[in-house]
Amino acid sequence: MEVSVIRSCSQATNLKTELGFKDSRFSFGKFNEKLFFRKPNSVSFQSPLRRGKSGLRITAQAAQSDPLPKSKSSTKSKTLNRVRLFAGLPLDVVSGGTVNQFRAISAGLKALKLLGLEGVELPIWWGVVEHESMGKYDWSGYLTIAEMVRKAGLKLHVTLCFHASSQPKIPLPEWVLDIGKTKSNIFFKDRAGKPYRGCLSLAVDELAVLNGKTPMQVYQDFCESFKSAFSAFIGSTIMGITMGLGPDGELRYPSHRGFAKSDTVPGAGEFQCYDKNMLHLLKQHAEACGKPKWGLGGPHDAPANSELPTANTFFKDHGGSWESPYGDFFLSWYSSQLIAHGDRLLSLASSVFSDSAVNIFGKVPLMHSWHGTRSHPSELTAGFYNTATRKGYEEVAEMFARNSCKIILPGMDQSDKYQLKESLSSPESLLAEIGTACNKHGVGISGQNSTVGAPDGLKQIKKNMLSENLNDSFIFQRIGAQFFAPEHFPLFIEFVRKLNQPELHSGNLPTKEGTTTATDSVHTRSNLSIHMQSA
Amino acid sequence: MAAVTIDSLLQNPTLVFRPKAKVLLKPPRSLDCSRNRKLPLSRGSCLCSFNPRRTIHVVRASSSETALIGNFDISSSDDILYKDIFPVKRIEKVEGKFFIRLDRSKDQHDWQLTVGCSLPGKWILHWGVSYLGDSGSEWDQPPKGMRPPGSIPIKDYAIETPLKKLSEGDIFHEVKIDFNPISEIAAIHFVLKDEETGAWYQHRGMDFKVPLVDYLEDDGNIVGAKRGFGVWSGALQQFSNVLLKSEASHADSQNNSIESKDSKNKNRCLEGFYEEQSIVKEVSVGNLVSVAVRKSPETGKVIVCLETDIPGDVVVHWGVCRDDAKIWEIPAAPYPPETTVFKNKALRTLLQPKATGNRSGALFTLDEEHFGFLFVLKLDENTWLKFKENDFYVPLLGTSSVPGQYGQSDSTSEEISSKSYTDGIINEIRNLVSGLSSEKSQKTKKKEVQESILQEIEQLAAEAYSIFRSSITTVPDEVVSETETTKPAVKISSGTGTGFEILCQGFNWESHKSGRWYMELKEKASEISSLGFTVIWLPPPTESVSPEGYMPKDLYNLNSRYGTIDELKELVKSLHEVGMKVLGDVVLNHRCAHFKNQNGVWNIFGGRLNWDDRAVVADDPHFQGRGNKSSGDNFHAAPNIDHSQEFVRKDLKEWLGWLREEIGYDGWRLDFVRGFWGGYVKDYFEASGPYFAVGEYWDSLSYTYGEMDHNQDSHRQRIVDWINATNGTAGAFDVTTKGILHSALERCEYWRLSDQKGKPPGVVGWWPSRAVTFIENHDTGSTQGHWRFPGGKEMQGYAYILTHPGTPAVFYDHIFSHHRSEIASLISVRNRNGIHCRSLVKIVKAERDVYAAIIDEKVAMKIGPGYYEPPSGSQRWSLALEGRDYKVWETS
Repeated sequence: MEVSVIRSCSQATNLKTELGFKDSRFSFGKFNEKLFFRKPNSVSFQSPLRRGKSGLRITAQAAQSDPLPKSKSSTKSKTLNRVRLFAGLPLDVVSGGTVNQFRAISAGLKALKLLGLEGVELPIWWGVVEHESMGKYDWSGYLTIAEMVRKAGLKLHVTLCFHASSQPKIPLPEWVLDIGKTKSNIFFKDRAGKPYRGCLSLAVDELAVLNGKTPMQVYQDFCESFKSAFSAFIGSTIMGITMGLGPDGELRYPSHRGFAKSDTVPGAGEFQCYDKNMLHLLKQHAEACGKPKWGLGGPHDAPANSELPTANTFFKDHGGSWESPYGDFFLSWYSSQLIAHGDRLLSLASSVFSDSAVNIFGKVPLMHSWHGTRSHPSELTAGFYNTATRKGYEEVAEMFARNSCKIILPGMDQSDKYQLKESLSSPESLLAEIGTACNKHGVGISGQNSTVGAPDGLKQIKKNMLSENLNDSFIFQRIGAQFFAPEHFPLFIEFVRKLNQPELHSGNLPTKEGTTTATDSVHTRSNLSIHMQSA
Repeated sequence: MAAVTIDSLLQNPTLVFRPKAKVLLKPPRSLDCSRNRKLPLSRGSCLCSFNPRRTIHVVRASSSETALIGNFDISSSDDILYKDIFPVKRIEKVEGKFFIRLDRSKDQHDWQLTVGCSLPGKWILHWGVSYLGDSGSEWDQPPKGMRPPGSIPIKDYAIETPLKKLSEGDIFHEVKIDFNPISEIAAIHFVLKDEETGAWYQHRGMDFKVPLVDYLEDDGNIVGAKRGFGVWSGALQQFSNVLLKSEASHADSQNNSIESKDSKNKNRCLEGFYEEQSIVKEVSVGNLVSVAVRKSPETGKVIVCLETDIPGDVVVHWGVCRDDAKIWEIPAAPYPPETTVFKNKALRTLLQPKATGNRSGALFTLDEEHFGFLFVLKLDENTWLKFKENDFYVPLLGTSSVPGQYGQSDSTSEEISSKSYTDGIINEIRNLVSGLSSEKSQKTKKKEVQESILQEIEQLAAEAYSIFRSSITTVPDEVVSETETTKPAVKISSGTGTGFEILCQGFNWESHKSGRWYMELKEKASEISSLGFTVIWLPPPTESVSPEGYMPKDLYNLNSRYGTIDELKELVKSLHEVGMKVLGDVVLNHRCAHFKNQNGVWNIFGGRLNWDDRAVVADDPHFQGRGNKSSGDNFHAAPNIDHSQEFVRKDLKEWLGWLREEIGYDGWRLDFVRGFWGGYVKDYFEASGPYFAVGEYWDSLSYTYGEMDHNQDSHRQRIVDWINATNGTAGAFDVTTKGILHSALERCEYWRLSDQKGKPPGVVGWWPSRAVTFIENHDTGSTQGHWRFPGGKEMQGYAYILTHPGTPAVFYDHIFSHHRSEIASLISVRNRNGIHCRSLVKIVKAERDVYAAIIDEKVAMKIGPGYYEPPSGSQRWSLALEGRDYKVWETS
């Protein structure tokens, strides 16, 4: 005879006891419905509300002179119904091949699953995997995580980070930094010649600077190795892959170095075209345009990194050099270099993973400070030629569409009213602008919150999730002590719960079935806020 | 959270996962349908079957640490360079017996089922019955008459009855169930539960089933039932046979088990039987590892002497290091006997048994240039003992003093690494997840379930939080301070005062009535001081909408129903003269407005702090604040202040500074701190530099089925989190301890006073120096009585808090009552023996009717009607004080 022991612990036991017994008392199954959601594994919206919206979406599509094929718009309305919620794992969840805080991650995954999240986001660092020497990959820690996530019944969104992190400190691979010691021109440089060691300069993408290989080849080998190491997960657990595109993984120049504290007004940023290779490209371009003198350097009258836009004449609201022919020449070149870089990496990723059932993403920054000026200095220095007179994100969205990639937009927690007035910042309108461009080109949008956090951030996120600024997924950054802290976690639970039951303020009320379509069809403008129509 | 920790106790369990029973009712014939359904586990728990035949160490579960320390006779010569004793915790399997007996009771009419268990633990029989004609294997609650005293109904389908020792000398905990066989009951079903560990013991994955049907059929006076019964009986026969067959190989079951009787006997008469089986429980056992380092005067070499009382073969896996980096190296030979080299990285030495006692040890002779000695202990292939997840480290050079970093005693400091642990978690998640998502979602919302899942989410989050947090910043852990304060040196911090404070709450809910409370209290100042109090908490001093002062309006107007500002100053002065520190009761969470806004809502303030609605949190619709959302819970009767506003904080800091200066307050009692983030409190305290401060973080304890849970870890975690948020600059009222005392005293369940780790179950068990223990205050007691301490048992409460660590607070009403002299005596025992907020408490008994503890090895106490006397060993105890259901001793 044998005695079985079942272990668990008193409090948890009590809970389980209760559930267990109920199960046996009531008819089984009736009960184990998902906690907050009607659809398992997803953050879904109330159907009446959404029914109205998707109807709206389709009519809007039809009314626009948009070349999108019909079939695409119908799949799109489907994704609209379902913004999947992810949470990012700690940046340093793996170091030296081992999983840090294993128990905390385990418990965390379990909590997130119970909460009904779709999955987690896992940052995979170039500097961790290919740390020692070129071509020597150590995926072990990340494979452990993938397995944990799979067992937890969650999905995984992987971010391939070809950049460095300052906090926690995760540098580029040692051998890359070693090369950089002698060849500092593999890094971006500002006007003072100071290199940025957080990622490689886009100007060396196709130059054989890494032990005879080009960075593009190195990135490709990395992706291939990743693909074969995670073949068991790709398409089943791993549903999305974000390709790192630059500083902090974002498609941009490292124009804002040592980003200032939240209570000080950020500077305009600085153009980063001063490494040898960038200057060379600029020179070639200028010569090709017949303006060799324009190719000798960046704008002479741009302010330095932390200076205000008003510190010099380049960004002046009226009559600034940015509006001059030279300005147009330089900014076109500068932004096209960035887009070409993004194009190279995204098409690389698309081709590597073309036979896998995964979505490829790229992240575009939300350079929202100074958005209220005519010249948008922060965007310009970061490489987005978007001003009061020029829609710069069209080209970006078009590039994403070309590679069938989706876009990740951070800063979904930022609202205008909490910005410093002096910085003339407007995250909400910039987001809407990018959103419009993406919608126009049929690029799916996944959201993120900013790492710095924002007052009322969750509220703003929710607002964005219900708007069309977001139609694919949302990745909440990030799990960690602060995330689970008693000050924060209950708010997060509340946030997740409420996503299912959006407050029905007057503008957002679902109407009785049947009456919606008529009113909906009126709204064909692309302005997103109008979808809060009253009925 | 809890489920996870317990798993760590498992060493090599065979994990068996069963999908949750999704079966709808099956015909009774099916064996399967009884499987697991009655067992209170479905989601997230794992079933571990232990094979009782495994060779195991059988040890006694209790071991007295003090006794062991005394036993270690590490060479006491003068040339000792270093000496330390590391406590280690391991998991032992303890083997015992468990029996089931069915026999006739004395009067020969009724029958009796007895279940007993010889292992120590808090055994609970979780049981129910099934009736004739029941289809399926549902349990039902037994009829009232069948329930032994002390049984607790679990919903409507089971009851739980504790197993008890009939007398002190008994080996078995037993429970007896009397029943009349002339009833409709077909069988008794049960499983056994150990409340101490949360483990469930069941019968090969099913409940234990004692069928009574034979007799009934024989008796069968109902025709319908009889016919139905034929089917049943057949099913039973089958069932029994199956059971019997599969058991034959395992159990030493005696021939007279019912099943065998059943199959042999066709006369269907209920027969008595007795069956015994072995049962294995895992208990954590404390052992010690002592290390001494001395220098051999002859050879100049360093000799490390390592000894332990861990039984069995213990292998020391060791090496030396050259510097602080603690990189393992192998020293030069010679090595002790039984040493092997492990992968060129370390040495392994089997400890040799000592001649005396059950200890083993080894001597390591090393050259003197080594910096440190590193080791871990290996008990078997999967069990390693480490020190706080690190190697044990013994400094060899310059080791005259050992910094507090190593070698403090803390029972939680080591963990056993075991592979099965991780498997456990992963499987558990799988189980949980499959359990959840395999079911189709339906529209019916069961609120309770949502709540339960929410609770579970919160617990998981709390666990994740505590790990993440601890790996980021080193929490000011008690471990460090405990060793500090054993020294007489006194460090004052606002969280603890000197550490020897005893607090008096100097008012009750009626104190405002006379209008001259300050003057009345002034007359009592020297009297209160003479009782031994060091700190007094005065009522809220500001102008207030309610007379008691908790609805403050103009913070700078200190004329209240308790008296004028000048009277207050006078009172504070007299209190200072008699040597007491004075706490001001400051209400920072909310403030009543002077004026209405344009919508007619009261949210504009007047007086010196003439804030507008930006100072009011935005998320309370009643007050239309324009501030940010509250950083805590809202108090709905008044506008809640938005502490995230810079100007608000600046003004409040200024105000606190003014109170310190102008009135002479020494510290603060903070009202309703749930309402705002502890980080702000830290800010206020750093600005106002209080001598002592305490916050009121009062929320509800955990209850299941209206009964308080034994484990209140999540409750105390919330309080500890708040203290943490203040960075330890404030203590907090130990609401958890009060709540647990309520249950323990009211229901005579003194076992509640020890947590799973054998520590006090309240905040005082986790962060004693920041716990302000109390049994009553103006809200819970006085004329409000929101949560009054069990009547007549107040002195037991005080005997507990005034002898235990933490800073005890005594309520005014109790001081000026018939309890006064007893309280005074308890305070003098506390002061005489130097018990302080970080004193060490050793719980020696936590049973149904008695709780006993020894504090700092100087004071022994017991509460409860049960018997306890302190041990008559080397220490001589003399009774210091005795009252109704409590006793206190001190060493003489």
